[in-house]
Amino acid sequence: MRSIRPVLDVSRLPTVVFGHRNATWWGTIGFMLIEGTTLALVAASYLYVRKNYQAWPPERTPFPDLLIPTIQLVVMLVSCVPAYLAKRSALRLDRSSTALWLWVSAAFGLAILVLRWFELQALNTRWDSHAYGSVAWSVLGFHGTLLVLDVFDTIGLAYLMSTGRASARHYPATTDNTDYWMFIMAAWVPLYILVFLSPRWI
Amino acid sequence: MTPAEVGPRAGVLDEALEHAALAVTWRARPGLLGWISSVDHKSIGKRYIATAFVFLLLGGIEAGLMRMQLSRPENSLLGPDLYNQIFTMHGTTMMFLFAVPVMTAIGIYLVPLMVGTRNIAFPRLAALSYWTYLIGGLLLYTAFFLNSAPDAGWFSYVPLSGPEFSPGKRVDVWAQTVTFTEIAGLAAAVCIIVTILKHRAPGMSLARMPLFVWAQLVVSMMIIFAMPSVATGSIYLAMDRLVDTHFFNPAEGGDPLLWQHLFWFFGHPEVYIIFLPAMGMVSAVIATFARRPVFGYPIVVLATIGTGFIGFGVWVHHMFATPVPQLGQSFFTGTSMLITIFTAAQIFCWIATLWMGRPVWKTPLLFLVGFVVTFVIGGMTGVMIAAIPFDLQAHDTYFIVAHLHYVLIGGAVMPLFAAFYYWFPKVIGRLLSETAGRWHFWLFTIGVNLTFFPMHFLGLEGMTRRVYTYLAETGWGDLNLLATLGAVTIVISMLIFVANVLGSAARGEIAGGDPWLGETLEWAMTSPPPAYNFAHIPIVASRSPMWSEGPDMPGASGLRSDIREVLVTTVLDAEPDARHDDPEPTIAPFLVSLAVGVMFITAIFTPWGIPIGTALLLITLTVWFYPRREQTEQVIVTRSAA
Repeated sequence: MRSIRPVLDVSRLPTVVFGHRNATWWGTIGFMLIEGTTLALVAASYLYVRKNYQAWPPERTPFPDLLIPTIQLVVMLVSCVPAYLAKRSALRLDRSSTALWLWVSAAFGLAILVLRWFELQALNTRWDSHAYGSVAWSVLGFHGTLLVLDVFDTIGLAYLMSTGRASARHYPATTDNTDYWMFIMAAWVPLYILVFLSPRWI
Repeated sequence: MTPAEVGPRAGVLDEALEHAALAVTWRARPGLLGWISSVDHKSIGKRYIATAFVFLLLGGIEAGLMRMQLSRPENSLLGPDLYNQIFTMHGTTMMFLFAVPVMTAIGIYLVPLMVGTRNIAFPRLAALSYWTYLIGGLLLYTAFFLNSAPDAGWFSYVPLSGPEFSPGKRVDVWAQTVTFTEIAGLAAAVCIIVTILKHRAPGMSLARMPLFVWAQLVVSMMIIFAMPSVATGSIYLAMDRLVDTHFFNPAEGGDPLLWQHLFWFFGHPEVYIIFLPAMGMVSAVIATFARRPVFGYPIVVLATIGTGFIGFGVWVHHMFATPVPQLGQSFFTGTSMLITIFTAAQIFCWIATLWMGRPVWKTPLLFLVGFVVTFVIGGMTGVMIAAIPFDLQAHDTYFIVAHLHYVLIGGAVMPLFAAFYYWFPKVIGRLLSETAGRWHFWLFTIGVNLTFFPMHFLGLEGMTRRVYTYLAETGWGDLNLLATLGAVTIVISMLIFVANVLGSAARGEIAGGDPWLGETLEWAMTSPPPAYNFAHIPIVASRSPMWSEGPDMPGASGLRSDIREVLVTTVLDAEPDARHDDPEPTIAPFLVSLAVGVMFITAIFTPWGIPIGTALLLITLTVWFYPRREQTEQVIVTRSAA
């Protein structure tokens, strides 16, 4: 066993840091990579099955509706604003403002989850009708799972921030949550194009 | 913030007092609940490794049963149904419950010690990884003992594994087991990556990282991009079987080849996920026993990274017998041959290391020589079957069985045994018997070659995989008997190994902190290591800190000893940057794993498993994340990004 002789004192280093300085941020990036890969594979499966069909959607299956999904897309993109404001408030260590914008984000999140339910109806097919139905539902389903977890996380953080149970470490947790939120919403843009617009083109 | 330079012992507790305080702060809780609550990477790593070795023995017993059945023509030891279950169990166990988890497990144990930190990043996630893995393994073996084990092969090709040709629940058990192990692998990968990127000892820049740590980093990145593929596939398969989706049903526009792509886009990188950590072990062991640093460090690092990339470009070589476009097939032949260059470069570096060093011929080094010889044979047949015309002939024959066992046993199991003999003294505190180790090595190496070399000829003579028996007129009886005798030799060698482990753990020679005069930081502490690993975090100035520093290594003090605290450093140069508190022991990861278990196991029988499991998951995650103890004292917040 070696004796380790102290020549450096790290006791004055910060205990709460943000962004890439924070180990948790790297963990969040790791999960974004995992989930981004999963969504890319689900999208690839959609296109892989497409080649088996002459018509897409298959005959006697209407195109997916555009109204609700497009409203959903707009709501998702707008939801990035309160998410960003929550991050900005957290960076200022402003507890009440962080709590406020987290609650606004959570409200957006719940609205997005309700809209996701109607989006499934807007596909105009069932998951068990044919492979087209299966892959279309799977895109919304896999992405929806991530939405549920992120909305849950946002509600939890909002509760902790507004009840005073949060510690200083929940500020970087909030900024990481915002980054993840942006990732989920950004990931939806190509998936929306794939599921709702591309059948009209390909 | 720049940490202040201090003189020796200035402003810190006396070293002995600090060790005592840390021992209290980092101690495990007592009793069964304490065992379940552990978030110590060493405890998690040890139980992970032990569980993986139990699965190795179970998979080995299954292999032994298959060899008994095939030892003579028209044998009736195992019927066709049981044989189907046993070869599926063997492959599934070895790949999903042994090979990948054991490599991850050794990373969980060793990486924090090697990079010089007190615990793994996200230790609760590491605990979750273990429990999820254990539930997956228990599910598979419970089903086996209920005569409901999967029986469609370890890669469960559709349409055989689909609802039409595999009614019942056997394949569902397989699909969910795979999902469990993938969740476990992904969780562990994130822990290992962040430990490597953010918790390295001050001064351990990327260019000074041990080669084993490089291998773990590359492999964990590969896991992140590979495992979602089979997890997606297994969820599709479960849905096809449970809620009548049609992902793989050609009658409704689905595609069986989609399964093969999803499976092998994971499955081939998986070979490197198993192989690269083993290469990291080789580098660690060879440096110590050659008494010099590995020759060509940058070459080995670049070869590891190169294998990580090219490993994702070879999966279609498993599908040469399917109607993939010919131009595409040629591309995959090219990449399959290309990847051998990276491995060859590493092997030449190791030979040069031995050549230029002063080799000490202990058991670990013997296993490395066994590795080089056995693996090179497997690599050569790999080049053969990368050629499409040859592959079309050899596809699904015993030639492939021979090839994959040479590659996996030579490339992973032999380095793993080398690593086992090498690091066992660190983990347990006692040395394994050298005499028994030599018997183990010789019998195992002879047994492996006796078992698998004849299979090349059986394959060339036309014996296909997965047949439960064959006629005497085929003339395959003698070679099969020879292979079975080889398997018996392997069994004897494994009995010696198990006896050695159990005997040496109880009565072996006391190892001391550094019995081999090792190169890297895990040898800087007592064996077994204390719960907190390092009282003072070592400061690293070279790739071989144990060889370049004298008995008194420089280190960093100032981490708290009254709460669990770890040092955070910068990604590239490992400059001290922050302190981070580490979680207390908690039962939450176990509860979350149970919720995941309820979700996926119930989903075998009813789709309601998903909403029920999701509700349980959210409840248990609340337990996980709910803050229990304010640690606001001494909080220093910094908002600067630099």
